[in-house]
Amino acid sequence: MSAVKKARVAFFDFTCCEGCQIELTNLGQDVFLGLLEHIEIVEFREAMSEQTKERIDIAFVEGSFSREADRARLEEIRARSNLVIAYGACAATGGINALKNHTTDYKKFVYSKDANMPHLDSHNALPVSAAIKVDFAVNGCPMDRNEFVYIVSHLLHGKTPVIPNHPVCVECKKRETVCRYHLGDHCMGVIARAGCNAPCPADGIPCEACRGFIDQPNEAALVKVLVEKAGFSNDRAKNKSRMFTANLRSDVK
Amino acid sequence: MNNCFVPMEAEILRADQVTKSEKHFTLRMKNGCRMDFAPGQILEASLFGFGEIPLGFASSPTRKDSFDLVVRTVGRVSGAINKLEKGQSVFVRGPLGHGFDLDRLRGHDVLIIAGGIGLCPTRSLIQYILDRRSEFKGFKLFFGSKSPQDQLFLDDLSAWRNSPDVEYHETVDKGDPGWTGNVGVITTLFQKTKITPDTRTVICGPPIMYKFVIKELEKSGVPHNHIFVDLERRMKCGIGKCGHCQINDKYVCIDGPVFSFDQIKHLEEVFG
Amino acid sequence: MSYFFLKESDLKDFVRKLISSAPVIAPVARKNKFVFADLESPDELRLDYDITILPPKKAFFPPNQTLLSFKENKATSAIRPREQILFGVHTYDVKAIDMLDLLFAENNADNNYLANRKATTIVAMTPQAVSGRAFWESVGKTVQPNGHDALMTKIREGYVFEPRTPQGTRLTKSGIFSQASSGQLDEASKCQSEIAAKCPEKLSHSTREISDKMRASFNNEKIWHTASLDCFSCGTCNIVCPTCYCFDVQDQWNLDQVSGARYRTWDACLTEDFAKISLGPAGAENFREERAERFRHRMMRKATYLNSRLGGPACVGCGRCSEGCVPDIADPVKIINNVMES
Repeated sequence: MSAVKKARVAFFDFTCCEGCQIELTNLGQDVFLGLLEHIEIVEFREAMSEQTKERIDIAFVEGSFSREADRARLEEIRARSNLVIAYGACAATGGINALKNHTTDYKKFVYSKDANMPHLDSHNALPVSAAIKVDFAVNGCPMDRNEFVYIVSHLLHGKTPVIPNHPVCVECKKRETVCRYHLGDHCMGVIARAGCNAPCPADGIPCEACRGFIDQPNEAALVKVLVEKAGFSNDRAKNKSRMFTANLRSDVK
Repeated sequence: MNNCFVPMEAEILRADQVTKSEKHFTLRMKNGCRMDFAPGQILEASLFGFGEIPLGFASSPTRKDSFDLVVRTVGRVSGAINKLEKGQSVFVRGPLGHGFDLDRLRGHDVLIIAGGIGLCPTRSLIQYILDRRSEFKGFKLFFGSKSPQDQLFLDDLSAWRNSPDVEYHETVDKGDPGWTGNVGVITTLFQKTKITPDTRTVICGPPIMYKFVIKELEKSGVPHNHIFVDLERRMKCGIGKCGHCQINDKYVCIDGPVFSFDQIKHLEEVFG
Repeated sequence: MSYFFLKESDLKDFVRKLISSAPVIAPVARKNKFVFADLESPDELRLDYDITILPPKKAFFPPNQTLLSFKENKATSAIRPREQILFGVHTYDVKAIDMLDLLFAENNADNNYLANRKATTIVAMTPQAVSGRAFWESVGKTVQPNGHDALMTKIREGYVFEPRTPQGTRLTKSGIFSQASSGQLDEASKCQSEIAAKCPEKLSHSTREISDKMRASFNNEKIWHTASLDCFSCGTCNIVCPTCYCFDVQDQWNLDQVSGARYRTWDACLTEDFAKISLGPAGAENFREERAERFRHRMMRKATYLNSRLGGPACVGCGRCSEGCVPDIADPVKIINNVMES
């Protein structure tokens, strides 16, 4: 297989911190320039001012869908893109934004008297796939830049990206990271989708499942080990997976 | 040092899109390599960058120095292979596994029951029997597919329909206005003919098919050690190491993919 | 073969000389656990370890191993063994290596493993400490460790060193070894039986009894369902197992998008997709869809499926799975004893 002609790639952002786009600029010169041999970036707000209305081969959409007003723009992106990739946790699952989905009073606490200003009006933070068809996802908060390159490589060849459906535990064990539970800590790695090579536990912090759940997470067992092995209160254990995976929980409304 | 994972190059001599999702390839080994296979054996076919998939040989070793493969687009590798055309290359490792035990079929009535893409590996045996017809007694063939559009090897089917060398019966799950043949699941074909208890039977098709077919064979008095099943699992390495194709303690890729039913009927994981 | 003795005070010099002759992979500390790692200095060596997170098989069967590299349509084998010394392998882990040696050689020889293995000199070690979940004393008793080049046993003054192959004997040239006295040999043999007696967990039946009863329990859905209720399908029990050798094979392009590699990576039969095949638009078929089925499959593999090929169970009683399992449901002793009592 020889390399294909340069793919036209664009980045768009919705409800997010744009950290996943920033993460792309951390790829390093060699990798970034290497990628540019194969892709042409036609829109990328973090690094260039040009915008396009042309057809796009691969659209990376960052951020969650949290305002009805964004639907038209998402549909427009979909209509002129061959592939739409949910880029980062917010786009893929709603991400950390979905923390708000189960609260009702946050606006009052955060914005006080301005709580009812119209620009603050939003619905539940949802994955981009709640508004438009999404072909693939680059998971993670932020997305893993090595995996991004890996996924782009697949897409350039017309190959469906191989994204693991096993928990982060597999990757911790392969690199012999001491288990957080063996250090008296908690960890969400048992139900979290791998593919990041488990950097957080290796750096001494628990996995927060920013890449979402595996397809069949054992939620009941998670609550059980958080209580029994990590010493969480029952409530905290039950709420724990709302941080990054609120929209993937079996109790999602 | 020999590396069992390094494949050999095979050139595509012919590539026909036979159904919407299936492509029929004829290949010849390059660089003086040979592919000495028996009907029922498998190979691992790959494209670099895309990966490997297990496939059964779809032609008989009695025919030419080439071999046939039929690839159904189901995933990354099959999708990529099915974009290839004549003159391009596929990379293969094989032959692998155990094929049909021809010695146990010779001198007997033979019945082959193929469902859907299960016709591909059995076509190797069908061709073999037709090429050495005198070595076998009666030869019956049942073929079932979802619909007339899903039928494979149309030239072969029309030849078999008219051949004195094989008693051919076919069915589709769902007909169309042009279809005049039998409609119904494959077991309905048992009503069309009589199966002698001495018949050696080969079954290859979707997992759901086996149980029902074997029940019918039992009714005809065919003993379990005369039934041969060609099984499919996730054969990743093809050499009995990687573990993905295990059925209880058997490795489909090296102990099979063809098993005598007698040999595996006690295994709980065979038919789920 | 004769028996040698190495004084405790001469150990570091011996190890330093070994390091200068070839890479030495040996147990070192990592936080409150131990791992096998390339030794940079003898000071890192922790022969008092109880268990390592991963078994030493990674020295010849690494978690990710390139099988071949490719450039367009040309493939190049990636078999490039390095001569190395695997030092301080506990005897139960040697048994596991023996099993992998057989399994990778059998039927179709896999030189991606065998070449690395052949280039490795193994110095085994009688354990000085026992992990909290070990049961190696009571499992596969008729199978003895075999593939090591030498065995070291710590006694009061130093180490009894028993070479078993010419490579093992050659290592003694790198240290100040004397002939071991019969008193020292007696002490070593006493140490060996004393440490074995310290295994905190124990199987109460013979390999044969366990194999038969486990196999017969296959359809006891209640046992497998109950045992796997809290299973995360995380595969930890597989990944840390010294006798697990399943792998997945994937291809990856390099940045240039024309060259790349085909590599294998350890896989785990507990994970959901292990036996799943794609049927294209028709979806997928998962031959072990339920976690209870996958949980059962691992135990069958450990206790019965491979026994006839290995001459014993595919478990050496290291206890890594029990220790690594967060909900603590993977312990073969508990599972097997539960089945035996059912």
